Amino acid sequence: MTTNRRGQRGHAMLELAVSAGVLLTLLAGTFQFGYTFYLYNKLVTAVGNGARYAAQRTYRSATTQDLDRGVSAIRNMVVYGDPQPVSDAQPVVPNLTPQQIEVNWVKADDGAPSAVALAVRNYSVDAVFHSFTFDRRPTVEFPYVGRYAPAEREP
Amino acid sequence: MRVASLAFHRKRGFVLIAMCACMFLLLASMGLAFDVGRIYIARNEGQVFADAAAMAAAQQLDGSNEGFTRAVAAAKNLPGRWNMAAETIKGVKIEFSKDGERWEQDWKSLKLDPSEIHLARVAIDGNELDITFLRAVGGPNSFNVPAHAVAVSQPVRLVE
Repeated sequence: MTTNRRGQRGHAMLELAVSAGVLLTLLAGTFQFGYTFYLYNKLVTAVGNGARYAAQRTYRSATTQDLDRGVSAIRNMVVYGDPQPVSDAQPVVPNLTPQQIEVNWVKADDGAPSAVALAVRNYSVDAVFHSFTFDRRPTVEFPYVGRYAPAEREP
Repeated sequence: MRVASLAFHRKRGFVLIAMCACMFLLLASMGLAFDVGRIYIARNEGQVFADAAAMAAAQQLDGSNEGFTRAVAAAKNLPGRWNMAAETIKGVKIEFSKDGERWEQDWKSLKLDPSEIHLARVAIDGNELDITFLRAVGGPNSFNVPAHAVAVSQPVRLVE
């Protein structure tokens, strides 16, 4: 009888170990994908907001520094939700940096921008058990509807 | 001894059934989380594209007849991707209106002067997302993820 009980306990331990292994794997998978989807959704929103900002922003290109400032403001809008963030601003998506935002102006024949395309380059989601890397996605293109001022300088 | 043995056998059967039921529920909730997560992403991607396409269409409305043709072309030719940027946006429909009450794909059906029409609406109804897990527990095989946006031809410039 005692041997039988010990055997039952052993069975229970084994069953617990097997089922806990399966359950933990499933939970880890759920966390991984859930967290990755959550961050990707935030990236889509951030890139969309940045592209909308870029599409309505005055395009100033008196010097290359002005162009760079414009691109920098757009990148900051994507990453921090603010074109001129405070020094200790936190990115809207963890570990996203302005350098990872690609800004491409689509130009018309006269040199004026007709659209602006934004994409995220090499962003890795660290989902604890596994890491997913997104390159050139999400990507968004907006038509340019802002004011074209090639002779103006950025304030 | 025989009674105890029977009770043990009955317990084993119960655990098996309980485990099956729990696994089914667990897999169903995991599938729900996975598929609904993808649906939300697809919806967000579709919405961002619809916003951009509506702006592209409205930008072309200049009061001329040709403006409507250009508006349709601008919205349809705008590059857009969805399903985690794996597929191109499908089923883009452009409609026009004077006041937001009555919408028509063919602006001539509005029986108005072209200069009176300032609103463009983009509706996307072709994004069919394949359902991965929920179909295994009786859910649909695919899910339509619609999006729509309206833009006016004289947008208020938010940033100067």
